[in-house]
Amino acid sequence: MSNTKKYWKGIEELQETPEFLNQKQNEFAEELPVDKFLGDDKLVNTNTNRRDFLKVLGFSVTAASLAACETPVRKAIPYLNKPEEITPGVANYYASSYWDGQDFASVVVKTREARPIKIDGNELCSITNGGSTARVQASVLSLYDSNRLRKPQMNGKEAEWSAVDKEVKSKLEAIAQRGGNIRIFTSTIISPSIKAAVAEFTIAYPTTQVVTYDAVSLKAIADAHLASHGKAMIPTYQFDKADFVLGIGCDFLTNWLSPVEYARQYASKRKLSKDKKEMSRHVQIESLLSLTGSNADKRVALKPSQLGLAAISIYNKLTGSSISTAATDKDNAIAEVAKELASYKGKALVVCGINDPAIQQVVNAINTYLGAYGNTINTDVIDYTRQGNDAAVANLVSEMNAGSVDALIIHGTNPVYSLANGDAFKTALSKVDLSISLSDVADETASACKIIAPNSHFLESWSDANPRTGHYTLGQPVINPLGSTREALASLLNWAGNTTNAHDYIAKYWEVMLYATSAEIAGFSTFWNKTLNAGLLVKSTEIVTNSVPTVTPAPSSTPVVSDIKPVADLSAAGSSIVSSAKSAKGIEVVIYEKTGLGWGAQANNPWLQELPDPVTKVTWDNYVLMNPDEMREKGFNVLMGQEQLSDTVDVTIGTKKLSLPAVAQPGLPKGVVAIAVGYGRTAAGKTANGIGANAFSLVGTSGGYYQFNVSGASISGSTGKYNIAATQTHHTMMGRQIVKETTLEEYKKDSKAGNEDLLLATNLKNIGKDGKAKPQELDLWQNFEYKNHFWNMAIDLNSCIGCGSCVVSCTAENNVPVVGKDEVRRSREMHWMRIDRYFTSSMNEEVAEKEGVGAIDKFLKMEVPSTDDSLEVVFQPVMCQHCNQAPCETVCPVLATTHSLEGLNQMTYNRCIGTRYCANNCPYKVRRFNWFRYNENEAFDFNMYDDMGKMVLNPDVTVRSRGVMEKCSMCVQRIQAGKLSAKKKSERPADGSIKTACQQACPTNAITFGDFNDQNSAVRKAWNDERKYQLLEEVGTQPSVYYLTKVRNKPATTKA
Amino acid sequence: MHRFKIRIISTVAILLALFLQSSALQAQDAAKLFKANCASCHKPTDQKLIGPGLKGIRSRWPEEAKLISWIKNSTAFLATGDAYANKLFEEYGKSVMPAQNLADADIVAIIDWADKGGDAPVATTADAASTETNATGAETSSDTYAIILLGVGIILLVLVSVLGSVKTSLESLVNERKGIVVEPKPVRTPVENFKLWASGNKKLVAIIGLILIIWVGKQGWDGLMGIGVYQGYAPEQPIKFSHKIHAGENQVACVYCHSGVEKSKHANIPSANVCMNCHMYIQEGPTYGKEEIGKIYAALDYNPETRTYGKNQKPIQWIRVHSLPDHAYFNHSQHVAVGKIECTECHGPIDSMEVVQQYSPLTMGWCIDCHRKTEVDYKDNKYYEELHKKFVNDPSYKKGDKFTIGSIGGLECSKCHY
Repeated sequence: MSNTKKYWKGIEELQETPEFLNQKQNEFAEELPVDKFLGDDKLVNTNTNRRDFLKVLGFSVTAASLAACETPVRKAIPYLNKPEEITPGVANYYASSYWDGQDFASVVVKTREARPIKIDGNELCSITNGGSTARVQASVLSLYDSNRLRKPQMNGKEAEWSAVDKEVKSKLEAIAQRGGNIRIFTSTIISPSIKAAVAEFTIAYPTTQVVTYDAVSLKAIADAHLASHGKAMIPTYQFDKADFVLGIGCDFLTNWLSPVEYARQYASKRKLSKDKKEMSRHVQIESLLSLTGSNADKRVALKPSQLGLAAISIYNKLTGSSISTAATDKDNAIAEVAKELASYKGKALVVCGINDPAIQQVVNAINTYLGAYGNTINTDVIDYTRQGNDAAVANLVSEMNAGSVDALIIHGTNPVYSLANGDAFKTALSKVDLSISLSDVADETASACKIIAPNSHFLESWSDANPRTGHYTLGQPVINPLGSTREALASLLNWAGNTTNAHDYIAKYWEVMLYATSAEIAGFSTFWNKTLNAGLLVKSTEIVTNSVPTVTPAPSSTPVVSDIKPVADLSAAGSSIVSSAKSAKGIEVVIYEKTGLGWGAQANNPWLQELPDPVTKVTWDNYVLMNPDEMREKGFNVLMGQEQLSDTVDVTIGTKKLSLPAVAQPGLPKGVVAIAVGYGRTAAGKTANGIGANAFSLVGTSGGYYQFNVSGASISGSTGKYNIAATQTHHTMMGRQIVKETTLEEYKKDSKAGNEDLLLATNLKNIGKDGKAKPQELDLWQNFEYKNHFWNMAIDLNSCIGCGSCVVSCTAENNVPVVGKDEVRRSREMHWMRIDRYFTSSMNEEVAEKEGVGAIDKFLKMEVPSTDDSLEVVFQPVMCQHCNQAPCETVCPVLATTHSLEGLNQMTYNRCIGTRYCANNCPYKVRRFNWFRYNENEAFDFNMYDDMGKMVLNPDVTVRSRGVMEKCSMCVQRIQAGKLSAKKKSERPADGSIKTACQQACPTNAITFGDFNDQNSAVRKAWNDERKYQLLEEVGTQPSVYYLTKVRNKPATTKA
Repeated sequence: MHRFKIRIISTVAILLALFLQSSALQAQDAAKLFKANCASCHKPTDQKLIGPGLKGIRSRWPEEAKLISWIKNSTAFLATGDAYANKLFEEYGKSVMPAQNLADADIVAIIDWADKGGDAPVATTADAASTETNATGAETSSDTYAIILLGVGIILLVLVSVLGSVKTSLESLVNERKGIVVEPKPVRTPVENFKLWASGNKKLVAIIGLILIIWVGKQGWDGLMGIGVYQGYAPEQPIKFSHKIHAGENQVACVYCHSGVEKSKHANIPSANVCMNCHMYIQEGPTYGKEEIGKIYAALDYNPETRTYGKNQKPIQWIRVHSLPDHAYFNHSQHVAVGKIECTECHGPIDSMEVVQQYSPLTMGWCIDCHRKTEVDYKDNKYYEELHKKFVNDPSYKKGDKFTIGSIGGLECSKCHY
């Protein structure tokens, strides 16, 4: 029946009009625009038909593939004279020193065939103790930055060193003869040899003066100590002796003085075990939710202008004095903190990161009252890493503007970018007759200088450092300079008429100054070799005086007293704090350093750009952080995601305006925004240029001190939309136990607190109680015994501070490609490990039940992080969990992912065909798919595509190709190397002899790795710890990676 | 007849070589010691290398004790002012013999062995000669066979076609005689002819077709499997370096030049300064004279007359013979230092290769095969001993189960791919 039905296309067909019949013959109703898409008349008229084309194509393809079958000729080029210490294929390690003008680290550099490929902390060094920051980890890639200068420049053109030296010397001599002013404008110098060279330079040119400048200055700490202790110094802090830590606007875990050391000390005081059930308590009073604040047991969010008031209130409460103060938004909470603090006398430490001498004086007074000096603060060992003098810098700029500076040598800093009045500095620079930059890239400042005498990278240089009293380190080159560069030390010496090279000069300096006073080792060459091998020398007393001729600082507003009489001077400090707090109006701005990028010295480093900010999880951008409630009020989008565009806003202070996207940050008080420095570069290089805006331009000055908390800002409405790339767009755990957490009080009662056994209800009669069973007992699979090794990893969530050093270390070790912002936005980042960050929500099951909130409302509210002080943050590093019953392994159609006899979940790239079933089946979402051939695709113009950047690749790890899956291998290359070295020694690998890259980088020793089958291994102990749990245990994957419950030192009643 | 003769000769040569080798077995330790410690500078014959040939060394030295202390530390011995030692020192261009850290017994064993002129050289010569004759013999025979067969085949084909045409012309002649008019056969193209024939012989066609398909398939499969397998690859090198002379005749130990083999994943191509240890003195080779050794000098910009190095040094660009794909990790030291595998197991008779060639296929199947078969020598290595105990004590262990590399995870992906 149905066949008889006839449908017409239209009335034309029914009537069978001649036009229709004519049209019917043609397949295409309109003539095809062949010539258009061929675009060439010759092609349209060609005689080659489709068949011929296919024949030729087929033939050439076959011929080409046949031709490709011939043995490719590969060259093998050995050394002509092989250096004795190099065995091709075996890594060499050299101790050296990292210094970027702000952070110091004693490091060990791994080189392969004389090519540095990895940097880790030096375990012999008491400061870093083997840990490192993300910036230290990434600095090896900065060596291979193709943007670095290859040759000196004169007036914008490449020049030879001889010409530069001749020009500089003749000009300097002329200037010195006519009595013109010569200035060395430098970041903090901690190298005793460079200081000696500067002194030598000053003798040659007596009109020289040195101006030291820290982009992120902490001068107020030194000056406050001058006022309260009679000595301008930054003491060293001992968080490992503090039972109570109070941070006031101080990000001491990532960006304050000595982050690796302080993070390690802090974490060591918070480690728990069967025998140690005490930990320190940490309270943080701050505005921006910093990484340090995220780790606090209690956090009080205040406007930046009120932080000083809080300090006064605490002091008043503690001592009973009545220094005039004003009310803050949270007086009750502050009073509670003061009350707690009072009971920790002699065991407490208060640190403050605000560059205001008045506040620092109050903090010193609190510390003095608490007896911190001598207990938790060491004034015998002084920190030399911040010597900048803000007032002197201002003085220099006015001198330059007045035309009274004839020569300016800029070393280790970039004032055109990092000064608030950078443009003014640039104009002033043009009035200087001889401007020389020692920068290794033609950055914002260097490109405005007449001469650039490029400094070598620290991995190409001889150097030394004296970061604190009695602590000396050496730095040695691990590669020949990649371009024609020269150590700044050698340049200064050369211009001073001393042609000694850096090595000889440093060696001589050490022989005279340090060896002469070290009786313990005989013979200087032995002493030198031993020190160089260890990388450092620790002396009990200070030998070298840090004498550098400096510009007399502008008169400081703080009075100078010689002995400890803090109370007498505090009223002045108090009134200064109150008056500046009262003058704060409009919206307040916090200018901060990001954990990864810092002040931006390594902004052109793609590893740091792609490292997500630990708290916001945003990559590749800076932005305006705002309170989410406030954003909602203003109608801004608070959500993140591929389809969620952020609103751009204008932040205006006076004449300065920054246009940046607004990002929601719970924990930030209303009326406050925060912007990170380090972005908005214009001449840093291809990676950093054009990203974000420069927040340094908003930095204020008060009493001669740079202020990173400023007020009087206004914020516009949405001016447009902007794509933000974040690696995590959902912020809460939705009531699930992903990160298990408890309080110290409960933990002391029951070490399994917060980690109660998970029981699943079944209808099985023979299992557990009432048919309830642990997930491990409900198993379809047979158990497998690992006879040889069984590699496991334990992560102590109580130690992890979320700093991201491990992520960069993993990137460096495992040749993880950088994918760029656009790909991150599509959730295609390639990092083998990530650090999940969760906020708590004010809504949970209990609250919902009590208040009778409906299910849908409940879940909607649970998605929203709380915005009051009940907000808590947890971090959780997640990498491949190496499940013993791995869901990924069972779904791979080609057996590209399998389980090894040592418990590793192996990923075999050459077998993988890219179905991505495994990634879909992975409950932890740790598998990464290679969408592109990042090392050969010009769209990904990062380190792997770059000829220079390729040199950082680890030759023991495959560079993955397009179309395969990859993931954490538990550093199998290190496991194999460790096993081999044990076999050669005829022994079993010792516990701790094999370290994964993440474990090695961790400053807080949060990650433990080892052989579970070794009964005494640290990882076995962690397995037996009652805080141990496995992620998503209920899925039954039985991971080889496990976590230890986070414990907060707070009363049990406030459990969220 | 001629071939037969060659065969007999080569068989005899092989037997002779075997005999000589078996008698040499007793002296093997000494020979090994010699090879490892002395061979880079001395020959066990009376030929000079860098130092004198060691044949008849006992008769040249006044006392054996003196000889031993000379070997142990020649510089110290020279200082004693011994006349013969000083004469020797002068004679060999004042080049110092490095001190040898050997036990007295070992030195005596070496002297015993070398004094007679060693035995290896004789064996090697016979060995080499036999392999050579063998090789040429085999080549000649197979080539001649092929040519003769081809010739006979062609002759037979020509014969068939000639006979065929003779037959047809005779037939037509006979028919003409008899007056029979034969209807001219329908004119068919060869294709039509073939089709007609094929339709009549379906079974035969099917069998031939099947054989053809299998053959083509096999060839195709082998061809595809051979892609990227360069077994036998023997490229011409920039310097005609002969392993046969160095490792074979002069018995230089492999590790002397390939010094990374026990420490690193790479065995290492020696750097030119290693070559110069010997070629500082040996300036002329047996095959190419000064030409090839001169290339090392050119690379190092070395002047053999003045014994000075210039600055215009250029690295030697060897052609890589063994090349694994990037995604395969291989470590020489695991195999040589831990696994105690001889170099020749994978690299073949290197000591008889004039030009080095890839002896093994280096395919994954080849690796896996060996890992499956090879038993782990666990006895003197604590790493494996413990593992072996567990292996044996396992309930699933059956007597006769072998403790192979494969049984302890040597077949797993991430042993080589990461």
